[in-house]
Amino acid sequence: MAISKDVMRGFLAHLSAGRTLIGPVDTGKVIEYRKASPNEILMDDRVSYKSIKEFYFPQVERMFTFSEGEVQDHDNPAGCAIFGGKPCDLEALRVMKAVFTTGKFADPFFERRFDANLLIGVGCIAKKPGCFCDQVEVDMAFSDFCDIMLEDSGEGYNVEYLSEKGRQALNEYPPTKDVACGNTRKADPPQADALALSPAITEAGFFEAIDWAKSTETCQGCGLCSFICPTCHCFDFRDSSENGTVHRYKCWDSCIYPKFTLHASGHNPRESRAARYRQRLLHKYRYVPDNFGLTACTGCGRCVRGCPVGMDIRQVVKQVMEVQP
Amino acid sequence: MSFEKQRDEVAALCKKLLADGAVSRVVGFREGGVEGMSLPYIFTDPAGVDMLTWNSRCLPNLNGYLTGGEGNTAIVAKPCDARAVVALISEKQLRREDIHIIGLVCDGMVDANGDPLPACVECSVNCPPVYDDLIDDPDVAEKTGGEQVSNDTSLERFEAEIDKCILCFSCRQACYGCYCQTCFMDRGSPGWQPTVPGRGDKMLYHAGRTMHLAGRCVECGACENACASGVDIRYLIREVTNFVGELYDYRAGMDLDARPAMLSYAAGDREVGFLGGDGDGH
Repeated sequence: MAISKDVMRGFLAHLSAGRTLIGPVDTGKVIEYRKASPNEILMDDRVSYKSIKEFYFPQVERMFTFSEGEVQDHDNPAGCAIFGGKPCDLEALRVMKAVFTTGKFADPFFERRFDANLLIGVGCIAKKPGCFCDQVEVDMAFSDFCDIMLEDSGEGYNVEYLSEKGRQALNEYPPTKDVACGNTRKADPPQADALALSPAITEAGFFEAIDWAKSTETCQGCGLCSFICPTCHCFDFRDSSENGTVHRYKCWDSCIYPKFTLHASGHNPRESRAARYRQRLLHKYRYVPDNFGLTACTGCGRCVRGCPVGMDIRQVVKQVMEVQP
Repeated sequence: MSFEKQRDEVAALCKKLLADGAVSRVVGFREGGVEGMSLPYIFTDPAGVDMLTWNSRCLPNLNGYLTGGEGNTAIVAKPCDARAVVALISEKQLRREDIHIIGLVCDGMVDANGDPLPACVECSVNCPPVYDDLIDDPDVAEKTGGEQVSNDTSLERFEAEIDKCILCFSCRQACYGCYCQTCFMDRGSPGWQPTVPGRGDKMLYHAGRTMHLAGRCVECGACENACASGVDIRYLIREVTNFVGELYDYRAGMDLDARPAMLSYAAGDREVGFLGGDGDGH
């Protein structure tokens, strides 16, 4: 169903009565997702410097408190209504859901946020500098990994729901109550310049595939790329103790930092910056595809745009692809 | 005169330096980044110098790339890059004879929208103070002083900036002066690294870094340019830089023979530099 952007603002105002409303806001220096009023939220085609991942996997999350032999769980989060996740963000959330909730162990902290949040995706109209979703099989305009999907025509939105949660939310607001169920849509077939690493090569084969030190020599090792990446999901536990009460937190970490793999013995299996960069790239393009069948890079381009020295992951993946059989 | 003409002069010089074996590496820029950004690149082959570029989008400070490799290194240096080289030499991190400074007269860099970068607007040094070769641009007028900015040093401002920070340390990695092998933030004992990155811990990091840069900042703005979150922490460092300037008449990276303010002591040093406050002791 096609609706105007004003109707969408009305819907967001309706949602904000019961939930914390999150959306992209122009802060003057950057665009970022934050708690916002319906009128502040951007409805143009610009893109934020960080993704929506912090609303599923916050930079710091208190897991539990331990006091006098008792473990107390907390911070059962109230759900947010998140507006404006781009298809690359939604596909990244699909990766994160697979990592955090499938297999032997499920992460309850991710899971409960995932269940509590209402996610409204908005398709892109145009690619931005550094974007490459089309090279990793992500459709710029649409993803079904959300509750409600809006395809942006510039003037208004074509609205569909993709989950029961989405249907209910739309149904509660009279102007959107007749919205139909969206079709799951397959992405366009991979293009000739698709970025993917051959499963035929062993991990060790990639380790020597290119001169990683040369290819990454200008990387400054700041780890900004992993913080603004929608799929980077590594974390560390930290404890803080106060008067006999211990809080345990789950905090973002990054494989780009030397301490990430530092052993208590002092040995560090990834001593060089090149080895750490290689890990980040292979994790996205080889290890997650091997383990979950999804590429852990959705082409959002944030690392490409955000890198202070212009490191471009596409170029390094291409170099590896050129030497693979 | 223009960027293109300067670029051709730099390229010819770099080719010659590499071909003659005067240097084994040239740290400069090439094209190819998004939104017109130029990329740091280490040239080792005279033929590769054809890729060298010099334009208004050569943002990063190149001093992080000066060590490593065999033989001497040349740097395509904006005035702030050259000042950083001088500061590193003063702090005994580099030897003058190992570095060939190709200094460029610079009118400032611009962001992706073509707007001058804040640090460049405030910059008062558009000619490298020390160089081996100077690539002049007579169209760039000599600066007598950068644009003065009012400095709000309130706690509210500090908190507003801090709240944008995601503690990724990109400002530290971009800074020429942050060369500690293990940053205080990464130390295990005592554990400076915050247990939980809250506002106070982010303040600790930025205040700590600011104090470590007292009298050492070369005002290049790399910290601010690197920040994806739009944090302006440079204002705090500028305050300390100005304070050191007033107290000790010292400005980092301007003079190879000047002893860095924080590495020297004189009996007559004003007490406010030790104890703070308004007291002077003289």
